[in-house]
Amino acid sequence: MFATLMQQIANGIVFGALIALVALGYTMVYGIVQLINFAHGEVFMVGAFGGLATYTWVLPADVKQIWYVALPLMVLGGVVVSVLISLAMERIAYRPLRNAPRLAPLITALGVSVFLQEAVRLFYPNATSAQPFPATFITTPLVIGPVTVPASGILLVAVSIVLAILLQAYVNRSRMGRAMRATAQDPDTARLMGINPDRVIVVTFAIGAVLAGVGGVLYGVYINNIDNQIGFQNGVFAFTAAVLGGIGSIRGAVIGSFVIGLVKNLADVLLPGGTAYDYVWIFVLLIVVLVFAPQGLFGEAERVRA
Amino acid sequence: MSEVSTAGRTGLFRPLSTAGAVATVLGALLPWATFVFNEGPYPAKATLQFFDAPFALSGFRLHLMLFGLAALVVGFTRLPGRGRVLRALGWGVLAVSAVNTVFLISNGGGFGAVSASDGAFAFGCYVGLAGGALLVADNWHASAEPLPRWKFSLPLWAAWLVLLVSFGAVLLLVAATLTAGGLGGAADPYAGPVFLSFLGAAGGLLGGLHGTGLLSWIGELSEKHRLFSVLVLLLCALGLPLTSAGNEYWMTVAANIGVYAATAIGLNIVVGLAGLLDLGYVAFMGIGAFVAANLSGAAASALGIHVPFLLAAVIAAVIAGIFGVIVGSPTLRVRGDYLAIVTLAFGEIFRRAAQNNIGGLTGGANAIPNIPQVELFGLEFNNPVTIGGLQLPGGVLYYFLIVLLVALTMVAFGNLKNSRIGRAWIAIREDEDVARAMGIRTGKAKILAFLTGATLAGLAGAVFAHKTATVSYESFQFLESVTLLAAVILGGMGTIPGAVLGAALLFVLPEKLREFSDYRLLLFGLALVLIMRFRPQGLVPDRHRRAELVAEDVELPAAPKEATA
Amino acid sequence: MSSAPALQAREVSMVFGGLRALNNVSLELAKGQIVGLIGPNGAGKTTFFNCLTGLYTPTSGQVLLGGTQLPGDPAEVTTAGLARTFQNIRLFPSMTVLENVLIGRHVRMKQGPLSSLLHGPAFQRGERAARERARELLDFVGLSRVEDELSRNLPYGDQRRLEIARALATDPSVLLLDEPTAGMNPQETEAARQLIFRIRDTGISVVVIEHDTKFIFTLCDRVTVLVQGELLVEGTPEEVRGDPRVVEAYLGKPPEEVQAVVEEITHGSAEGASGE
Repeated sequence: MFATLMQQIANGIVFGALIALVALGYTMVYGIVQLINFAHGEVFMVGAFGGLATYTWVLPADVKQIWYVALPLMVLGGVVVSVLISLAMERIAYRPLRNAPRLAPLITALGVSVFLQEAVRLFYPNATSAQPFPATFITTPLVIGPVTVPASGILLVAVSIVLAILLQAYVNRSRMGRAMRATAQDPDTARLMGINPDRVIVVTFAIGAVLAGVGGVLYGVYINNIDNQIGFQNGVFAFTAAVLGGIGSIRGAVIGSFVIGLVKNLADVLLPGGTAYDYVWIFVLLIVVLVFAPQGLFGEAERVRA
Repeated sequence: MSEVSTAGRTGLFRPLSTAGAVATVLGALLPWATFVFNEGPYPAKATLQFFDAPFALSGFRLHLMLFGLAALVVGFTRLPGRGRVLRALGWGVLAVSAVNTVFLISNGGGFGAVSASDGAFAFGCYVGLAGGALLVADNWHASAEPLPRWKFSLPLWAAWLVLLVSFGAVLLLVAATLTAGGLGGAADPYAGPVFLSFLGAAGGLLGGLHGTGLLSWIGELSEKHRLFSVLVLLLCALGLPLTSAGNEYWMTVAANIGVYAATAIGLNIVVGLAGLLDLGYVAFMGIGAFVAANLSGAAASALGIHVPFLLAAVIAAVIAGIFGVIVGSPTLRVRGDYLAIVTLAFGEIFRRAAQNNIGGLTGGANAIPNIPQVELFGLEFNNPVTIGGLQLPGGVLYYFLIVLLVALTMVAFGNLKNSRIGRAWIAIREDEDVARAMGIRTGKAKILAFLTGATLAGLAGAVFAHKTATVSYESFQFLESVTLLAAVILGGMGTIPGAVLGAALLFVLPEKLREFSDYRLLLFGLALVLIMRFRPQGLVPDRHRRAELVAEDVELPAAPKEATA
Repeated sequence: MSSAPALQAREVSMVFGGLRALNNVSLELAKGQIVGLIGPNGAGKTTFFNCLTGLYTPTSGQVLLGGTQLPGDPAEVTTAGLARTFQNIRLFPSMTVLENVLIGRHVRMKQGPLSSLLHGPAFQRGERAARERARELLDFVGLSRVEDELSRNLPYGDQRRLEIARALATDPSVLLLDEPTAGMNPQETEAARQLIFRIRDTGISVVVIEHDTKFIFTLCDRVTVLVQGELLVEGTPEEVRGDPRVVEAYLGKPPEEVQAVVEEITHGSAEGASGE
């Protein structure tokens, strides 16, 4: 039992690290434009396919064998695809609705999400079913006592934490980061101070997409196959994590993600229903958080809007 | 009002519109394809003749010609709402021409099919496209013109006659639309294009009539004579089996549309009236369906009891309603898009639970198959019926049942909307804080909205279970919720015709366009984005233009103004 | 019971975070009286209104309506007979004029969900009565001719009057008006004054927040001056006008500054309404 438990905790941490990469995008976009960017999960999904495409069509055969060359290039490919898609959707779908009532962009986001899922299914070769993802990383797992963690899992955790720290530093230190915080606080005043909100929003979407793209490729390497549904599912978890941590807060999103990861994996062994119901427990958690602590566990009180 | 009407161009002669109308007529007269299809995939159609029915492009030339002539005439009159009429006709022409052009290009062997071969030119479709484009472009800003309002009142008999004729026309239009192009799929590659052409033409016609103010007038008339309208509408709906759509296939299609229309009307209460976005709504329909399935005596049901259909339907509605209250209760604390997420979470919980055959009630991946047909008054609902000398097709009883269901939900929706409760919902949608300040118990009202919507969906689900005979969790996934939401939005939030029209379109189109079935969801997602961008008020906008979706186009006047006379 | 004041606020205080927006403000309103509430921008007038109407729960203090304590919930307060208008007009923009007033009737109507669903004879009677009453009120404020217009299409002055009609539809015993003449021209202001007198004549007590002191002094039976969340002076218009503290705190400002304050208000920058 103890061994199983430890193993599940380890799995949960890896899963949490993955979710965090998506949750950060949710939290940033929501913080700036108060939009639940439903399609952000799909950005993660296209990132995974971008990485796969890079491997399949761009990398020469001999490079594919050298993981420390192949993997970074795949990540790069995934990130490029994610960012392009994300910026296109911001420009085409969301920006024209910036001043529309709030239901409109939310429904648009649903539409974009369905569209991207289907576009990948229809136009990515053979993507009508799950696609095997090449194991372009060390395949020897790490064994600590009873716990076995794939090397790709360790990589996920490491990358996720490093990126989160970099992001935190960027938002706190850089000029653009200050502009972001100002816009999140009060867009009108920010505009008066000479901040171009369009630019801030574009950068926010781009940053979210970079993280999601990295996440997508690492997900592929970790799970070893991808399909067009991975975005929706993980997107909802990531959103849950972002809310749980207090939406708008970077640290909150990361901690929330680890909580989600642990809840899911521990529910597999501890809660009634086992693996069949682990998703249900996450949704229950989401509802409880939204109803009883909408400001999140670690966030500040919800920002007051006039 | 009156000063706005002069904003549009008022000159009698509109060169561009006239040119567009002439081009449309010319386009209809010119050959569309000299390249006959004997080199293409459909040699049977090689002897294409002018006005030769039933092939798409020739059949619809007649429509184009009529549209062109109408535009020509209207262009030279001072008809109120002229710009709107011309624009609608233009869209119709454009739609018909575009569909046929695309079809010719894709199925006739490329641009060559449309332009030239056999030494002759055939550019009718291009001329038609140009005509439609001219009409639309010249009247692009027609929305600035006020919609003409017909003020004259009629004696009772005349009003009833008008309503009778209008609803009769609606019935014929519905029958024609349903059967236009026939069955889709590989058997008939023309079904899709013919149907779309028909839709384009019908849309143009209706838009044109709307532009004259006629449709709004009929709408007001039917509001005034509500009971009569409901009865006539019901009669018309029941008359559908007597039209060209009177066979088992179309009865089934119409019944399916009806089930989703009823559900969409329920959702319209929650979203359209109370302004609460529900992303898990189909779960209520699912709960109703599973309850009915378990009470149907189906072999796979866990309970193994057989309750009469009507009672089972009531129980299904009640249980769905109870879940509606549960799902709605977070509205007491959660607002806006957070609420949408809560409903999504509930929907997903339901889906997962059903998928895992929770309590043995849902059959999981095996579904609950072989649900017996409804039996009421000694009638078996799958069988055809004969009334007097009238032979009605199989499935017609389900169709009748579902018409009643839709009528019931419509009356419920209409009555609630025009009541103290409905006004409270709309007030909450528009400004929740002020609604509270006006004494409305907003929490109670919102939960009531969820309760009502869920009950209606549960009822629809119970009928659905018997109609389809198999209930699986796969029918109640997130995408179905989004589709229902799209039906409500596409049709027009807060209106009954909107929800019905939206549901009809979203469930007929896939039926007709089977050859594109793979692209259904792609187009669906795209459509959601485009609607939100270009026509958030939907096809049949509410008189109360929804503050939830349409940006306020009229700012509160900042400076005091003299009262208008 | 009848001897109790129509509205009584006892030492109401409101603290936001560390900020004391109201400090022990008391107000008493006799039946059929018009009381004015004035004070410079940010004095806490709207906050005070929000405390009275249950939109905010005062940190301390009590509000009594006709001698009974008011519940701390806007819907209950309205039901009890205290109605209000808003500083920055808040009508239901895509409802018609008549429907806006019918919303005001909501609390006085009895039809429950079932009756609303079935539209039985009792429902019809109630609905007819409500419409009749709503039309009376529209007539009272002079808006009958536009009852089918969408409220957002009304000119500004009419929107203010519609808000008043909507508030009156709740059959209040006390009506709170938050800057009813903001942005009006002199004729409209005069019409508003007459309207308020007529409302008073129907037996409803009125509290008015206003920046236009001339308007207040010629309208009200008593005037209360708030400065920085504190009650500065309370008395008849004559007493208040002559009080040196008021002159210093409020009227004593150079005319330009007063003008600037007035302009700011007129252009709709919200004063306590930005919270929540």
